Amino acid sequence: MSAIEHHDDEHGLSHVASVKVLVGTGGTLLALTLVTVLATKLDFGANINLGIAMLIAVVKATLVILFFMHLKYDKLFHTVVFVSAILAACLFVGFTLMDSSQYQQTNIWHPDNPPTAPYGPRPTSG
Amino acid sequence: MSPTQQAHEAHGDDHGHHGSRFIAHHYDDAQHQFDSGKLGIWLFLAQEVLFFSALFVAYVLYRSHHPEIYSYAHKWLQVKFGAINTAVLIFSSLTAAWAVRAAQLAQPKRLILCLATTILCACAFLGIKYIEYSHKYHESILFGRYFDPCVSPGGVDLLTKKNECKGVKSTIDWDAKAEKAKSGCFNVDKIDQDPHEPGLQADCTVIESVGATKRTIGDKCAEETIDETEGSPPIAKKFPCWRPAYQPAVCPDLVDGPGDQTEGTRREMGYASHHQVGVMVEYGDEEERGDDVKIAATCTDAPKPAAVAAAAAHDADKAKVLGQKAIAPIHHMTTHEEHELESMGPPPEHTSMFFTIYFAMTGLHGIHVLFGIGVFTWLLIRALKGHFTPDYFGPVDYAALYWHIVDLIWIFLFPLLYLIH
Repeated sequence: MSAIEHHDDEHGLSHVASVKVLVGTGGTLLALTLVTVLATKLDFGANINLGIAMLIAVVKATLVILFFMHLKYDKLFHTVVFVSAILAACLFVGFTLMDSSQYQQTNIWHPDNPPTAPYGPRPTSG
Repeated sequence: MSPTQQAHEAHGDDHGHHGSRFIAHHYDDAQHQFDSGKLGIWLFLAQEVLFFSALFVAYVLYRSHHPEIYSYAHKWLQVKFGAINTAVLIFSSLTAAWAVRAAQLAQPKRLILCLATTILCACAFLGIKYIEYSHKYHESILFGRYFDPCVSPGGVDLLTKKNECKGVKSTIDWDAKAEKAKSGCFNVDKIDQDPHEPGLQADCTVIESVGATKRTIGDKCAEETIDETEGSPPIAKKFPCWRPAYQPAVCPDLVDGPGDQTEGTRREMGYASHHQVGVMVEYGDEEERGDDVKIAATCTDAPKPAAVAAAAAHDADKAKVLGQKAIAPIHHMTTHEEHELESMGPPPEHTSMFFTIYFAMTGLHGIHVLFGIGVFTWLLIRALKGHFTPDYFGPVDYAALYWHIVDLIWIFLFPLLYLIH
């Protein structure tokens, strides 16, 4: 029993993160924050700049999830729960974007200047 | 006996065979209680992701439709504050994770220190957020119909609807239906900034004194001296008012101002706010022409190339009369110039939506931070009472997980709101 206690990873109710991992993760996150700020100074075009910023954000998020949140050492079921939530969130965003070109222009209704058909009032015949 | 209980007794914490007194009797053991709580918190975090995803959908959808609003409005946000807050949250995430480690390894002093640091960082985050929010409140850079900005991101005054701005703005009586000012104007100081502005309404009369006129646009300064009229009495001049940013404006010809009478140099730039067209007119010698005279023209409507070109031709003729070299209008500005000009002009239509989304997202995130402060304070009190032991540290672990998700969301909010290119 006492032999088990010497294994840093195994004793107790759950995994204990080593100081090295914690500080390393924190340091990397801070460095990546600096990188993402500096990346905006360079002009690669709006889309590529957005892509770079999002890539860095995803890497940072992954580091937080794996090491700060201990998901790497946690039960697989917790990963299943959390990853499915993220996938669902991606699905929401993706699906909304997918048909966003189907939307019509915003029509601001003004009584003096009603929008023309097909948005306008139906002709009142009879 | 589990290893943790063994460890426990070795530390002299005498709760007999039952381990920590916080282990509820309906659980088999400490592990059972811990695992149940952990599953619960992961389910909660999954729900949090879905909760925030609704706001991200709103963000993404609106951005895909109106990229121009995002590229303009984010200039009101200061990257400095966002970056500091990101660093503060990451550091607090580190201390939260360390608090879990300290609780697991029965290091009460370290646990208390880590919890206290986390609380301090959370307070610092909210403090910085307060600075940002209060600045926006004072300048009316708010959501929905409260969006009525006093100053453009480039530092140029805008005509507001309600004129609730701090400072020296004089009264404007805005007729919303006719989309123009009924009466009133900025005070002379403000008007002096930019008498050549196209896209303005020339229906305010102010008295302009003769002599040196200082114009300030953003942080750029230029002085013009009116020599010819020196000694003569002040002239009553019709000066224009700014149109409100979000009203469609027609771009009239450049309004003549005192600059025309000087021998000096003048440089004018016209642009249409959705950066389709940029025209730069420069005359005078390269040496004479100071780089600091830069005037932003503002047209909120679709580009009026005819109007801008006519104004340019008009100026070119004038330059010829003065015997100076006219430089042909430049139709393609550099990206930097374009951005600079854009930030001086009025916001595009429906810019308030950016701030509706900004306040909804950062506000909800801020509420989470506030809640986190409450939870961590409760943990700190319990830690001071010595409640947490290697077989009972669940609450610290769960709160830390919650805190990490708060950090995680900010990791995405920061580039999406502050770092728009």
